Amino acid sequence: MVRDALSPPRRIGQGPTPWSAYVPPATVVGASLLAALPIVSTSGWYPDFGFLVLIAWRLLRADPWPAWWAAPLGLANDLFTGYPIGFSIALWSATMLALDLIDRRTMWRDYWIEWVLAAVLITVDEWLQWRVAGVVGADLPFVKMIPPVVISIFAFPLVAWLVSRIDAWRLGR
Amino acid sequence: MATARPGWSRRAQYGLFFSFLAVIAGILVGLFLLALSLIAPQSFQSVRGAALDITGPVAAALHEVTATGEGLISGAGNYWDAASQNAELKRENKAMLQRMVEAKAIFQENQQLKATLQLREQTRDTVAVGRIVGSSFTSPRRFAILSVGGSDGVRVGMPVRSPNGLVGRIIDVGSLASRVLLVSDRANIVPARLLRGGIPVIVQGRGDGTIDVRPLEVGRNPFKRGDIIITSGTGGLYPPLVAIGRVVKLNDDGAIALPLADPSTTSFAIVEPPFEPTAVAAESSANGP
Repeated sequence: MVRDALSPPRRIGQGPTPWSAYVPPATVVGASLLAALPIVSTSGWYPDFGFLVLIAWRLLRADPWPAWWAAPLGLANDLFTGYPIGFSIALWSATMLALDLIDRRTMWRDYWIEWVLAAVLITVDEWLQWRVAGVVGADLPFVKMIPPVVISIFAFPLVAWLVSRIDAWRLGR
Repeated sequence: MATARPGWSRRAQYGLFFSFLAVIAGILVGLFLLALSLIAPQSFQSVRGAALDITGPVAAALHEVTATGEGLISGAGNYWDAASQNAELKRENKAMLQRMVEAKAIFQENQQLKATLQLREQTRDTVAVGRIVGSSFTSPRRFAILSVGGSDGVRVGMPVRSPNGLVGRIIDVGSLASRVLLVSDRANIVPARLLRGGIPVIVQGRGDGTIDVRPLEVGRNPFKRGDIIITSGTGGLYPPLVAIGRVVKLNDDGAIALPLADPSTTSFAIVEPPFEPTAVAAESSANGP
């Protein structure tokens, strides 16, 4: 192939890491575990790292993991971050499904489309968190959710870059 | 599942179809669990506790590292002008001694008055003392992770306070760590009163580290900037006479206050037994996280 010929010559013995198939889900769980960092936030403006890493992998590749793995990954996220159990399970599975449907529709993909998609997904995520919090009795005005949404949207390119680096490493490129 | 047509292979077509079904099943299971955890929050207590036992100690260990780092920096700063600090501290110490003697006299007088009134002294014992090692930092809810858990005697519903003021109450318990619903969470409503004048007020979190204070009686706004809000003990969940916050801004129907026990700088948090255990039992069965 032309592309193969143009790429720099590979060294012998360099290839995918033996556990490369499990690297993407492991990074998602790792991002959920960031909740264990000793950060005491009084405003709650940090991005939802687990979700960011999940959509970054899914936008980078169509098959980072079998689609149904989103459910157990979501369960791990719920447990570590203290969301009501079931929230991330449902949302993450629905995200996988939505992105599969979007993949059928889109003719081409570029950086801007991915960012817009991620922005929409992040907004939906934060909006649902806000709705669920309202159901439990923490009904804040939605204005309070705008700073975390904006911060998450601007954090996405960084996460996407990091994920693409990890992807290159795991495939030995 | 990525491509629309997996080709003519019947096996690939079935694979695509079943993975589609699996995702739908994932969504349904998630929605079911979410509904369950919203309606009956106590159903996942043990699972949530187990997860806390994983994250809690990690956060505690990392907290030690950062606290040591900060301590080294501020410790070095303290040496910077030790001489003038020393003089100032001596002056303060002298003033404090005088105040302490006065306070002791007042305490004795108080004891005598109470004895004449035959008031029962409420002993407030401590269940456990822990550190706030982490918090929820992504959601509209405000939780903190406390480094003590069920093995130290902590139970759901117990009030948590720091030397500065009220922190919140326990909502999830693992055996090594527990989760605290902070005063600044929207769902945390604390019956309180003004220290000045004793006007009954309601305190509710605003989700961003500040709290809303509203008077129970409609009428003139009773607040002034700098007012201290203390718990009233009504409802039996929180003990009375614990400081909650200081009013920083007035608005139409109340005021906005800052919690005195800032969870990000509070080093120690004290878990106390529930003020009136029956009220706590009723509360924890009615609503939870």
